[in-house]
Amino acid sequence: MQNIKQDAILSIKNVSKYFPGVKALDQVSIEVERGTVHGIVGENGAGKSTLMKILSGVHSKDSGTIIFDGELVENTTPILSMKSGLSIIYQELNLVSTMTVGENIFLGRFGELGGIKHVHERAKALLKRIGSHVTTYKLVSELSVSEKQMVEIAKALSFDSKLIIMDEPSSSLTADEMKALVKIIHQLRLQGISIIYISHKLDEIFEFCSVVTIMRDGHVIDSKKINEITRSEMITKMVGRTIENEYPKRPNCVGETLMEVQSINTKKLRDIAFKLNKGEILGLVGLVGAGRTEIVRAIFGADKIKGHKITIDGNPVKIRKPSDAKKAGIALVTEDRKTQGLVLPFSVENNISMATLDKISKYGFLNKSMEAEIAERHVNSLGIKTPSIKTTVKNLSGGNQQKCILGRWLEINPRILILDEPTRGIDVGAKYEIYLLMKQIVESGSAIILISSELPEVLNMSNRVLTVCEGRITGEFDPNDSTPDQIMSKAFASERKE
Amino acid sequence: MNILGYCKKLLSIVNKQKAFLALILMFTAMLFFKTNFYTPLNLINLMKSGSVLLILAFGITIVLVAGGADLSIGGVMVVSGIVAIKLMNADVPMAIAIICALLVGVVVGMINAFFSVYQKTEPFIITLGMGMLLTGIAQQLTDAHPVSSKNPGFLLLSNGKLFNQIPNQVIVMIGVFVLTFFILRYTSFGRNCYAIGGDYEVAKYSGINVMRTKALAYVYSGTIAALGGIMLSSMLNSGNSTYGENTALLVNCGVVVGGTSFAGGIGGAQHSLIGLLVFAVLQNAMNMVGVDSYVQLLFQGIVTVGIIWLDSYGRKKRREMV
Amino acid sequence: MTSKYEFKKIFELIFKEYLILGAIAILVLVTSIVQPAFLSVGNLSNVIRQFGPLIMVALGMTFVIIGGFIDLSVAGIISLVAVATVYLIDIVGQGPALIIGIGIGIACGILNSALLLTSGALTQAEALFITYGMSLVYGALALIISGGSTQHIFWSENNTSLFELIGSGSVGFFSISFILFLICLLILYLLQNYTYAGRVMRLTGGNKTAAELCGVNINRSIIFIYAISGLMSAIGSIVLISRVTTASPVIGMGYETNAILAVVVGGTTLAGGKGSVMRTVLGTMLVILLSNCMNLLGVSVYLQYVLKGAILVIAIWMDNRKQS
Repeated sequence: MQNIKQDAILSIKNVSKYFPGVKALDQVSIEVERGTVHGIVGENGAGKSTLMKILSGVHSKDSGTIIFDGELVENTTPILSMKSGLSIIYQELNLVSTMTVGENIFLGRFGELGGIKHVHERAKALLKRIGSHVTTYKLVSELSVSEKQMVEIAKALSFDSKLIIMDEPSSSLTADEMKALVKIIHQLRLQGISIIYISHKLDEIFEFCSVVTIMRDGHVIDSKKINEITRSEMITKMVGRTIENEYPKRPNCVGETLMEVQSINTKKLRDIAFKLNKGEILGLVGLVGAGRTEIVRAIFGADKIKGHKITIDGNPVKIRKPSDAKKAGIALVTEDRKTQGLVLPFSVENNISMATLDKISKYGFLNKSMEAEIAERHVNSLGIKTPSIKTTVKNLSGGNQQKCILGRWLEINPRILILDEPTRGIDVGAKYEIYLLMKQIVESGSAIILISSELPEVLNMSNRVLTVCEGRITGEFDPNDSTPDQIMSKAFASERKE
Repeated sequence: MNILGYCKKLLSIVNKQKAFLALILMFTAMLFFKTNFYTPLNLINLMKSGSVLLILAFGITIVLVAGGADLSIGGVMVVSGIVAIKLMNADVPMAIAIICALLVGVVVGMINAFFSVYQKTEPFIITLGMGMLLTGIAQQLTDAHPVSSKNPGFLLLSNGKLFNQIPNQVIVMIGVFVLTFFILRYTSFGRNCYAIGGDYEVAKYSGINVMRTKALAYVYSGTIAALGGIMLSSMLNSGNSTYGENTALLVNCGVVVGGTSFAGGIGGAQHSLIGLLVFAVLQNAMNMVGVDSYVQLLFQGIVTVGIIWLDSYGRKKRREMV
Repeated sequence: MTSKYEFKKIFELIFKEYLILGAIAILVLVTSIVQPAFLSVGNLSNVIRQFGPLIMVALGMTFVIIGGFIDLSVAGIISLVAVATVYLIDIVGQGPALIIGIGIGIACGILNSALLLTSGALTQAEALFITYGMSLVYGALALIISGGSTQHIFWSENNTSLFELIGSGSVGFFSISFILFLICLLILYLLQNYTYAGRVMRLTGGNKTAAELCGVNINRSIIFIYAISGLMSAIGSIVLISRVTTASPVIGMGYETNAILAVVVGGTTLAGGKGSVMRTVLGTMLVILLSNCMNLLGVSVYLQYVLKGAILVIAIWMDNRKQS
């Protein structure tokens, strides 16, 4: 600890964190200098959020040391870390929407301030410091996203923060709001506050970060001064891994048009239209919250929408609810396995048969031997590792749980299989099996829509990629002859619209 | 375009102030009936008969704001009233008897807090069970017969009148209202309750002692329910296990009608006041007009279901806005 | 090593899942030692007779709770069906009156579910309040129809043999109401375990979102569970008025809490998805045996309420601990 540089506000040394089955952080070391803006980039699942949660005290680290402002950090809690001068502005904002701006800034500290009036006075002063004119008596639920961010920053300032961590702050800001944020970041730095800026968007990193750290798969890949690294180097380091062994050979069996979707319009989506061909894997790429999930939910009839048109094999189909979609041969594997896919306390068998209950029942009675047979068949063909089909699905690993859901939908022989983040939280081996399965499915003539936040996955598996940004489809690519950078720039929408 | 905007605004106000509008509607409707509704005596009576339920409502408001629920208040109410009377009949001084009765509420509040806060049991169900248990205790204490106090001073506790006009009970009700209003609005405990009900995780990460705050809310609710029970027994000069039968659910409905949500984080004493008044005025008005008591019960049910239906419907519409 | 592990597992299973069997056994054992009259034929048939109305209501409630909801309106439904049925005997005769009475029960259940579905009230708390409000409505209707007075079935000028049969008839050792219970249990058991409707009910309780995304019609399932609850309450009501031969407009009071008690004590979890009518039979048995034993042991009726309340609270608490 003696050899810590005096000018380092935060020094992370060899920090590791294990979650059941996953090594989220592996010997991570980062040094943040005082009064700088330090960028951290990396794909989803690179370990950025885990690291932030350890710093803020939401998670505890398994090994390694963290030194903040010259003091060793052990057993911290969110409030302790904030009080010590380390604040985090999360992607999903940490505000109580039913309370006023002022109270949110001083949440849990009303007692120290002596009365509600002082709270609002001080909140007003803090907001003024960052140039925001939001009235402190407004409810947070009435604010725009950028205003909420201002409130978060004011909250961080109220703790006399020395270091503010911003987790993807720009993901839902308009261009003007972004400009304002950049201004604030400059101001904060002038006030001597250090900032860790986590982002997908390389433009922003190059615009105002002085040092950038690149993370991948729980490791720090590199940490460099911004003028010592080029954009393409950065991308290579972010996504660059030996891809050959991770993915099977891309299926190549695209046929004629299978489904055509036209004019899906909702509050979030604008004029979504695309075609899906037989035997094709169509990748949807975009940021979390860009509208990818909403598109497939609309197609599947999970959200109520009006005025759109879907044709399959040239015949228009009406899909108002999921059962209509099922009849049309569409299957949806949702992104959140535990809350939207599985019934956790139920057996493997019951989970697999969920979509085919009408098939296995006659005169209202269930044919239990048929159910068992279906379950056995999928357990064997998909290689689901389970002691028996009667085992509670809660006790299986993530990969095997996902296979149960896949088995459930394969049983209806889907013509269109929609996979929303099918490999999230799954180990490498199971991932590969799922890729092989996808290949089999398209080779049998069905089509797959693949949503994934892992760009390499989409690039290696799909025949065609659509980029989604702010509720619109912004581009179409052939993954064979386009670079990740090209695709990412479309997905992160350089041309912002009001 | 402008008119449409106004209409939309009007609709959203109607949606937010359902209970208040219902109240105004009833007051207006009563103008057209030739009754004694608009006499000072009746209005004071209205406040008096509604005051026990109002007291209970202010107590649970804090629990609901903090994202909990308390359906045991009916049981607390009867047990505390019976305890007070029984102790006084055993020659315990009134003040001590009342303190013991209040302690009943404190203890029940703590037990509720243990189960629903520290053991994370679904509060609706566990407090419903507590209420049932307490009703059993009340029956055991009284052999299911009403008990009356031999202490004449006890009767005056709630029936005595300030300036010969306003019954003490109403004063106590107003006192509890002001206390609850003050706690929720101006104390850090109250503000923390809003934070916890609004977003439990955020509140926790903001360093609020969520467990203790929520537990305290249950204790407050239990204590206030005990106070309500003492006022009720004093008003009727008797304690009976049957008094609390529908109280808990009725009061909870009233509070929700006023605009304090089950989801927690919004509402307040002033909302509960209006919500419960809807029921009190409805009953009083129906009495005045001479509606059959059974039909009154019917209306009460329909109003309860109607308003909770509207509440849920509003939430559903908001959910569906994709 | 393995056998020891197996033994531990079995022990855990018994302790966790079938604690209630042990409780019943202990209760029976202790009572029959202290009060041998417990095992007399007279007392046992008395127990079986008491089983009647509560078990019916509790069986229906089991379906609602497995489906992830709750139904407080059963008290109102019982009162309404009782009063309406007796009222109708004079007008349409006993057979039709009975059928209409059961129809009213089903209609009440469907109305409950319709209110929940149209308002989108899909949480247990919302269901609790809406069904409570409906209980007030049904109860008030019962009071209005009867004018608040208790009616005696056999004061009717018409033939009431059907009710007499249900109330006190028997085939051999078994009373008609007990046979009725067995039939209902069998049907509900089959429904729950072997039919499409039963599976969908479980899925609804287990994970509504997932079920809906699998193309399962959960709305129909909610209507189904509440209709069953209404039907079973109506049957319970008929059994009850046949036995006590009177129909008071507040006859159903307390049935909702007792039914929930029986279901939860039996081990059907309030979280939904899991549970069985068989467990409810055990739960009801415990509740009734408890009353019976305490009666024999000379425990006051009111203290019994206290104990029941305490058991309910502890059962809910244990259920909650089992879940987490």
